[in-house]
Amino acid sequence: MASDSNSSTSIDAPADQNPNSPDMAEDRLKSLSLNDFDNVVDDEVAYNPEFIEVLNGSLIANYDRRDGSEIVEETQSGQTPHEAGPEVVEEVLESSSGVVWRDNSELEGDAPPSPSSSGYAGERGSSSGTSASGIEEVHEDEIDQAFVPQGDTVDAASDSVSWVPGKRHNDEDDASISWRKRKKHFFMLSHSGKPIYSRYGDEYKLAGFSATLQAIISFVENGYCVGASYPGQCDMRIGVQGTWPVVFLVKGPIYLVCISCTEEPYEALRGQLELIYGQMLLILTKSVNRCFEKNPKFDMTPLLGGTDVVFSSLIHAFSWNPATFLHAYTCLPLSYLTRQAAGAILQDVADSGVLFAILMCKHKVVSLVGAQKASLHPDDMLLLANFVLSSESFRQVKMTSESFSPICLPRYNPMAFLYAYVHYLDVDTYIMLLTTSSDAFYHLKDCRIRIEMVLLKSNVLSEVQRSMLDGGLHVEDLPVDPSPRSGYLSPHLGQDKLATDSSGRCKEAYLGTGGPAGLWHFIYRSIYLDQYISSEFSSPINSSRQQKRLYRAYQKLYASMHERGTAPHKTQFRRDENYAPITLIENFVLMFPKLDLLRNFYYVYVAVLLCWITQDFELYAAFDPLADKHSSWQVLQNWANASLSLLTEYMTEVGGSSLKDFVLAFSLLFNQIHQWGRGDIHACQSVPFHCHPHSSGTWAQDTYPCSF
Amino acid sequence: MASRRRMLLKVIILGDSGVGKTSLMNQYVNRKFSNQYKATIGADFLTKEVQFEDRLFTLQIWDTAGQERFQSLGVAFYRGADCCVLVYDVNVMKSFDNLNNWREEFLIQASPSDPENFPFVVLGNKIDVDGGNSRVVSEKKAKAWCTSKGNIPYFETSAKEGFNVEAAFQCIAKNALKNEPEEEIYLPDTIDVAGGGRQQRSSGCEC
Repeated sequence: MASDSNSSTSIDAPADQNPNSPDMAEDRLKSLSLNDFDNVVDDEVAYNPEFIEVLNGSLIANYDRRDGSEIVEETQSGQTPHEAGPEVVEEVLESSSGVVWRDNSELEGDAPPSPSSSGYAGERGSSSGTSASGIEEVHEDEIDQAFVPQGDTVDAASDSVSWVPGKRHNDEDDASISWRKRKKHFFMLSHSGKPIYSRYGDEYKLAGFSATLQAIISFVENGYCVGASYPGQCDMRIGVQGTWPVVFLVKGPIYLVCISCTEEPYEALRGQLELIYGQMLLILTKSVNRCFEKNPKFDMTPLLGGTDVVFSSLIHAFSWNPATFLHAYTCLPLSYLTRQAAGAILQDVADSGVLFAILMCKHKVVSLVGAQKASLHPDDMLLLANFVLSSESFRQVKMTSESFSPICLPRYNPMAFLYAYVHYLDVDTYIMLLTTSSDAFYHLKDCRIRIEMVLLKSNVLSEVQRSMLDGGLHVEDLPVDPSPRSGYLSPHLGQDKLATDSSGRCKEAYLGTGGPAGLWHFIYRSIYLDQYISSEFSSPINSSRQQKRLYRAYQKLYASMHERGTAPHKTQFRRDENYAPITLIENFVLMFPKLDLLRNFYYVYVAVLLCWITQDFELYAAFDPLADKHSSWQVLQNWANASLSLLTEYMTEVGGSSLKDFVLAFSLLFNQIHQWGRGDIHACQSVPFHCHPHSSGTWAQDTYPCSF
Repeated sequence: MASRRRMLLKVIILGDSGVGKTSLMNQYVNRKFSNQYKATIGADFLTKEVQFEDRLFTLQIWDTAGQERFQSLGVAFYRGADCCVLVYDVNVMKSFDNLNNWREEFLIQASPSDPENFPFVVLGNKIDVDGGNSRVVSEKKAKAWCTSKGNIPYFETSAKEGFNVEAAFQCIAKNALKNEPEEEIYLPDTIDVAGGGRQQRSSGCEC
């Protein structure tokens, strides 16, 4: 009998561990600070030839960071030294204000083993935990964010390409210092305490930890937990000062746990656990519960064999895909006619006994059709797309491969399987046909051939590819000048593109970074359509780190705006509370407005966030805090009014019931916005503005100046 | 992925307080022994990977607290156990007498599907104490009890000296494995649309 590894955890362990820095959480929670120097980090990305592989004829390289180039900030500009504890790795960055990146290879060494660990590693100060090996492991935590070598000109879509899904750090267990320092853990375990999934580390080696979690949860379930704010949930926090919230989700015999120091709101983390559970259901259905009823000892891990990639890519999506917290999906920008052509052939197929026919390009929908009365929940789409995109086997062997797989749509029917026929039309575009019949493969194959022929003939595929190349909507392309112009919005949305110099005008209106009037980024979600439009990331939100931070800030806004018992429509502005160190710089900039150099090198970006919610839509936006307030508001207002009126007008026209019509309506809207991107501003102006009475008020000027 | 499926075995250690449950586990997992008594609070959890008959499996050892005040945790702790280890102190008669209670309590709370054949292992610990002179439970008596309860394997151990600990856990692993249920094919239903395919769509946002 040979023993390989041992580890021990105790149920009462977390309490006596975790020397933590108490103040950091406060600082981090409220702030959104976007650091202009992140691109320096990107430059540090080292090219690792081992990870190159040729997939579908395209070269995909995985870039890893050099050892020792771990991101740790050097303390500057009034930060207290303890905030720069080396082990805080990424999280420190989120509290950053006035930071400079540097290569960290020596910092780990000098740093005292201070009690500022944000990990709940008890041994941090006393053991040899600061050894080089531990450090090496920790920096890889950053792999879960995308790093793209080209630096600045990266948008979210291409970010997600360079990220390679899969389990990381399989060698770790709860005794590893590095494991304990990971900022966000997800676990799935059975009600008997057997591990099912862990984001980091080997599930089997984590058996002891898993047992601990089970014991804690059973304690909570038995009502021993005081102060639970949600039924069955425990607002428990581990670690000194309660800096690591633990979120539990009990789903029958399956327990899900998130331990995180990312300061995401409780509701957001809980939503993420729900999605992880949904992803498990998509693979296995709720029938797993029966296995546990029959045999409480049931070990579920083998059933999920090979699906690590699916879960890791979902967890990755939590930090880049707004669909994960908006519960909405997004469409690929396409002209109305193109989408109509795609929808028509899908509808044709759906009428022949296919439950859902979905044409997607990466995570964006090209067209989507459901059989009568069947509708697809956005969460199901997210999970399905994630399943298909993350599983390499679906896209194996050139374009000729076709797959047929049982899947479950948890929001449609969590108890039973459907069958999904999946076929890639090109590298990014794939078609999914869902059916209830397990022997429909050949029928679906025929359907697919038909669809493919039509798509090719009608140039839909080439349009899709072109749209992919064009990229999505950029804030720089938004119209800045609301003054009416000649032109008329045709029902088919101006196929005639007028080359107006919108981008040039933006530059005039606002000389700062970002889009017109300092708009950095926005997300528009239509509530009727369950769809959202998000602008692509552009300067100054370049790095995936900044993007992640922005998403987390949106998430926080989303959570606070969706708290129970709040009014249906409202506006909220937020500003980073780490404001003090910036004021000086800002004043300086104001005094010498021409000193753009200053802005570029020393200015620390702190976004101003806007959230506007009505019964019809939600709008999230991030602004440059130095932007001209009036014009930024104007830009957003123009844009939103125009799109809202478009949306409402079209929806009354179709009566707004079937998803297909919604998709068409949305394509219309998106197309319109896309046209703006081409400078076709006149189109939106000719539409008489008549948005819903309850929402028009919120845009009134009197609500605007609140906290700029 | 390993060619052969890994297995996780949940092992519960039960017995009166102070009989040496934690010490046995420590000896087995960490090869360490301490004379100092430190009562377990709630439960301790240890894992140990074991190679057995060409197969790798992980013992997830639940070292429970012997004190009665922790018994309310029973159901949650015992659920889904693969093997139960009953420990007594050969120098304390009461701890041996209580084995019966522990066993019955376990069977009630864990309610295994086949209680008759649920794998138990009995360990008589602390045989080193006083050179065996203070011993009050004879090996014969213990074995007789084990036989009467369906031939429970019995080991005499010394956590302090590490005597028989390895062998005992080897047997525990073997027994837990023996009880492994045969694999069933996982076959969930397929949606029947003809029977009125369910439509469970909510409006999208969970607020």
